[in-house]
Amino acid sequence: MIWKIFLFLLLCFVSVAGISFPIVDNPQAWYEFPFIKGLEENAKIIFFHVPTAWLTVIAFFMTAIYSFKYLRKKNLDDDAKSYAAAQLGIIFCILATVTGAVWAKFAWGSFWSWDPRQTSIFALLLIYGAWFALRSSIESEEKRATLSSVYAIIAFVTVPFFIFILPRIMTGLHPGSADDTNAGPVIDFKMNSNMQLIFFLSLIGFTILYFWMWRLGYKSLIYRDKLNKQLLLRG
Amino acid sequence: MEFLEKNAIYIVMIIVLIVWVGVFLYLWNLDKRIKNIEKEIGEKK
Repeated sequence: MIWKIFLFLLLCFVSVAGISFPIVDNPQAWYEFPFIKGLEENAKIIFFHVPTAWLTVIAFFMTAIYSFKYLRKKNLDDDAKSYAAAQLGIIFCILATVTGAVWAKFAWGSFWSWDPRQTSIFALLLIYGAWFALRSSIESEEKRATLSSVYAIIAFVTVPFFIFILPRIMTGLHPGSADDTNAGPVIDFKMNSNMQLIFFLSLIGFTILYFWMWRLGYKSLIYRDKLNKQLLLRG
Repeated sequence: MEFLEKNAIYIVMIIVLIVWVGVFLYLWNLDKRIKNIEKEIGEKK
């Protein structure tokens, strides 16, 4: 219970702070963000867009972990967990793409410009879209769980390359690209410590939110399966 | 459009709204699934 209240307060604080804290030339107080040339208020997207991409990685990671668990123990509950995680993963993947595209229209001039990160998230969408197609095409429960588990583990191998490596070694528009003069992890990019604090609080908040949503998701799947089995036994 | 270009803070707000729409859609989906479970159990809801 207490963590739900904590999460509520945290996300309220992050939303309010992320949108309304002022941007000034020379930040002094703890609530002031630095002026970043060319970005200005646009820089605040980092508090909401990056967590969605971060949750995509976590969700697909959980998918791979529970797929692996399923293959070892053959427990269908693990399959439900990996399915719920993948559902969230694809939702946040789409959110990261859409929020990025809307923002890019105003900051970079067009919705889509095949920046390395845009290209790689598009590839991820295709890879995990195929995972859902694969699942829905198999009738047998065990067969579906086994095949999709194998696919999910192989698919996750591509995630670190697409999210962490490829966009850093290629030139592009995102901060942290190879031609970015502030090269290095994206979070170091011209952010002062106030901005970093809100950014990390936002990451923590969204991560807790993810685990809450995931738990509700897999519980409902598991109960549905249990109920169906009971009905089958009775009928 | 021009208004949004000059007042970038509203773009940030739109983005937050898009994120909440995504979370809302997930909850919607979850609600449907739970309603189906309730129906199968036989509770009128």
